[in-house]
Amino acid sequence: MLRTILAGLRARTARLVLSSVAIALGVAFVSGTMVLGDGLRESVTDEFSKSSRGVDVSVGVDHQNSDAEGIPRGVAEQISTVQGVAGTDVRGYLHVALLGGEGKARPAVVAPLAKTESLREFDVIEGRYPTAANEIAVDERTATTSKLGIGGQVELLNEQQEKRSFTVVGTYRQGTSLLSLSGSDHVVLLPESLEQLDPGVLYDSVVVAGDGSVGQEALVAAITSALGSGGYRIETGAALVQQDLAFVEQNIGDITTVLLGFAFIALVVSSMVIYNTFTILVAQRTRELALLRCVGAGRGQVFRSVIAEALAMGLFASLVGLFGGIGVSAALQWGLARSTGGEADVRIPVEPVTVIAAFAVGVLVTLVAAVLPALRATRVPPIAALRSQLDSNDDVARTGRLRVAFALLLLVGGVALAVLGTGQKGEQAMLISGAGCMLVLIGVLVLGPLLVGPINRVLGVVPRALLGVPAELAAGNASRNPRRTAATTSALLIGVTIVSTVTVLASSGKETANAQVDAEFPADYNVTSSLYDQVLPQDLVTQLDDLPEVEEVSAAAYLSVELQDEQFAYVTAVEGDAIGGLVNPTIVAGTLDSLADDEVVLSESAARRTGLKIGDTYEVRGSSRADAADAPAPTKPLTVVAFYEGEAFYDGLVALPTARALKPELERGYERVMVKLADGVDAAAGRAAVQRVTDPSPIAVLDSAAETKAQLSKQVDQLLGFMWALIGLAVLIALFGIANTLSLSVLERTRESALLRALGLTRGQLRLMLVVESILMALMGAAVGLVLGIGFSWVLTTALSSDNIPLTFAVPYGQIGTMLVAAVLAAVLAAALPARRAARTSVVAGMAEG
Amino acid sequence: MSAVVSETGTIGTRTAVAAGSLVKVYGKGDTAVRALDGVSVSFEAGKFTAIMGPSGSGKSTLMHCLAGLDDVDSGTVHIGSQEITGLSDKELTKLRRDRVGFVFQAFNLLPTLTAQQNVLLGLELAGRKPDQEWFDTIVDVLGLRDRLRHKPTELSGGQQQRVACARALVSRPDVVFADEPTGNLDSRSGAEVLDFLRMSVRKLGQTVIMVTHDPNAASYADRVVLLADGHLAGEIHNPTADSVLSALKNLGA
Repeated sequence: MLRTILAGLRARTARLVLSSVAIALGVAFVSGTMVLGDGLRESVTDEFSKSSRGVDVSVGVDHQNSDAEGIPRGVAEQISTVQGVAGTDVRGYLHVALLGGEGKARPAVVAPLAKTESLREFDVIEGRYPTAANEIAVDERTATTSKLGIGGQVELLNEQQEKRSFTVVGTYRQGTSLLSLSGSDHVVLLPESLEQLDPGVLYDSVVVAGDGSVGQEALVAAITSALGSGGYRIETGAALVQQDLAFVEQNIGDITTVLLGFAFIALVVSSMVIYNTFTILVAQRTRELALLRCVGAGRGQVFRSVIAEALAMGLFASLVGLFGGIGVSAALQWGLARSTGGEADVRIPVEPVTVIAAFAVGVLVTLVAAVLPALRATRVPPIAALRSQLDSNDDVARTGRLRVAFALLLLVGGVALAVLGTGQKGEQAMLISGAGCMLVLIGVLVLGPLLVGPINRVLGVVPRALLGVPAELAAGNASRNPRRTAATTSALLIGVTIVSTVTVLASSGKETANAQVDAEFPADYNVTSSLYDQVLPQDLVTQLDDLPEVEEVSAAAYLSVELQDEQFAYVTAVEGDAIGGLVNPTIVAGTLDSLADDEVVLSESAARRTGLKIGDTYEVRGSSRADAADAPAPTKPLTVVAFYEGEAFYDGLVALPTARALKPELERGYERVMVKLADGVDAAAGRAAVQRVTDPSPIAVLDSAAETKAQLSKQVDQLLGFMWALIGLAVLIALFGIANTLSLSVLERTRESALLRALGLTRGQLRLMLVVESILMALMGAAVGLVLGIGFSWVLTTALSSDNIPLTFAVPYGQIGTMLVAAVLAAVLAAALPARRAARTSVVAGMAEG
Repeated sequence: MSAVVSETGTIGTRTAVAAGSLVKVYGKGDTAVRALDGVSVSFEAGKFTAIMGPSGSGKSTLMHCLAGLDDVDSGTVHIGSQEITGLSDKELTKLRRDRVGFVFQAFNLLPTLTAQQNVLLGLELAGRKPDQEWFDTIVDVLGLRDRLRHKPTELSGGQQQRVACARALVSRPDVVFADEPTGNLDSRSGAEVLDFLRMSVRKLGQTVIMVTHDPNAASYADRVVLLADGHLAGEIHNPTADSVLSALKNLGA
């Protein structure tokens, strides 16, 4: 039997290789994901460990037992005298504004340069570290974004708006840390220069390098006794590394889970393709298997021969897929690094578990997919060998009543769950509705073979009308074996369903956000501060108000207050008379014409959370000045006058005078200024006028509602692009499935094609016929997928939509259209090879087949 | 041999298909087989001709070359007055659509189409409208009226071959090629098909060229052309099963 199997493998090499592609792609996705996850972990661990390298002891504030906000540099000097200490340095950062060439400030973080070389957490890329007080080194990303080169001049602006100039002497690469991930610009100075920017600066920690004479533990003990009184958290470098690793695990784990989720989808899709392939292969070999049975092969032997073939195929494909996955992972890392402008840091750690997973997935999925077809193979009666005509139409078994009943059960259950979910709130709503959608999807898949005929008839109308007989034949072929067509298209169906669900959800989210921006801030322009701790000066508002092009100006600020005991809220402060004009909350309870000094309007969710009622008056506590932290926080009695829906103003709205009373810093200015242009003012002229006022201010950033929306859209689109790329692979596998089915069908229909050619079908028409068949199959999957996807996203938006965040359901017709066109184009591609093969076969040779 | 009235009403012994010094070689070098080795033969219009010969005599190859299904290594093939050797694949395809009908041994019909769709397939490919009267005549003669809406799998072998015959004739081709049309049928169904082919020649003025190895089938023809080892090996006019059998015996089949 082994010899027969080997001979079979040799004889069908081409078909098997083709079928292996689907498995290999699935395996590549799984192994690629794992390698990518491991690579990311490795790289992040390395990056994070930059901050702990060279550190033997780290001294920080013990926030549990101390009220100290940081450590002064004197402590570092005190520690440096301890026996066994080779060097000490302070670590911390200061928020400043960085002025590059364009005169506009960008938020930046300044860190002190470690004097002890082994304690430096950065690597110099170009130039050197600063050695003089007027020198600065900039992070390489900052250098790129702020267009700074060595020898260039940089100005830093401290909180008091004092400027200091520095000369750039080098660029460096910093490790990944919470700071570097924040996206702020990053620069380093000598600690002395840092203290000139903020004389009272306190540091986060002191890091200590030992001289090697004592161990880390001993050094901790020595430093502990040297510092005397408590209030410090003194740890060994080893403990620091452990903390970093734990942090990395926590964060990378999520990414890997998400990626594996996509890998799972890819796997489901590829198992369908594999299952389908084996079903077709076995169906085509009916006669051969029957012959084997005739010459005495037992059922078990036939079963084993099919399974052995699957095993060989699975092993081969897993190997190819594993290497493919490593390649994909490397390419992804390279691409990611390129798109973020960083240096490519490609890591491809192949852990044993990755190899095991690749083979387990590839071999097991193939085997499982092959079991049913193999069982079917054992049922081939020996007499089948003697039947003259065989078409795998044999397996067009009538769709059983059981199948219909099962599918209906799933559909009804799914719809019921989806409806139930829309009545729920938040995460629960999404989970229940999501599960309902899943059931509906499975139900449709189970029902698939029954749907093929009707859908094909509808879809076939257009090509039939346009392309005549070849299209007519193609439509017939597409539905001649409903089960095969259903299995082929279901892979694509799954992919398209997920893609379209996500796409419509994203576009709905975008639309919702846009609508909210429009409704709640009917301003034409917003002026905000580029630095979070620096407010816009009062006179900016006056100047803007004086512009003839401007009709209305309204300032806003944000502050955190304590509504009741331990009930904190983040509220927006606006001018009381701006209500109904530039500030337009949707009031759901109470009334609001203008906001008086002692009034507060709460969001519905904040009201629910705190239990406050309209008419209630409470003593609200603000926050004290940062430079007088010990002073008691100011308080003010406020009356709740109304509730509004939505989250646009965070938890509540107060008038600006109220805000100033609760947060004294606000006296210096505002965080946001809304500008409405007068009627009839040209947008460009209006913008120019506003810009004349904002340009001189280094921190004022001007943006329009349109720009805000564009920015929002861009973020959503980036996320969507990532999703599309991931699901794209599943779709790719599905298309391979179509190509696969077509190739196998072409082989099966060799005689039929020859007959058609004899009857006068040209080569071109034969190719056209296959292309149309491919397009019909792809459209079947894509169309049903789109209908499901749009339906699912409607269910999910309805479920997620709440009083607080009413979601707008928006279908992005452009993107949906793009998807359909892409499906058609891909189908044409998928048909290319099979069509070529079919057209090349000579009529006489074709007639002689089978 | 008598003159017959053809469809167009002209009287005579027109040549429907002619081959001149046909050579067809399969393979190369030592393993080359000369399937046709200088065959010159012509087939009269309005006649039923059978091509016979033992296995490997080249009879199927001859038919394939005559019908433009296969290309030749040298020699000429004319259908009517048109030389078809050297035509492009596209031109040959058009020629088959418009001027040639086929009945094969098996796998004559597309499983996805109904009997009627199968009959009209060639015309549709050519973009021609079927002549309803002619279609009805053929369908009635073949007794397919109540089978037109059936798929091939719902038809018996004999019915399937009759549908194939209807398809071959519905476009009024210059010539119908039949390749072992009864090879897969029981004797009764076979006789029906052969009766029909003979009737289509005698009554409807068609030209039929049939490849067969069955002397009984050949006896339905007006003339039998014998082939052996790629050469023409004689012919029999107004054959009977016995005369064909003895001729074959002389060929050493």
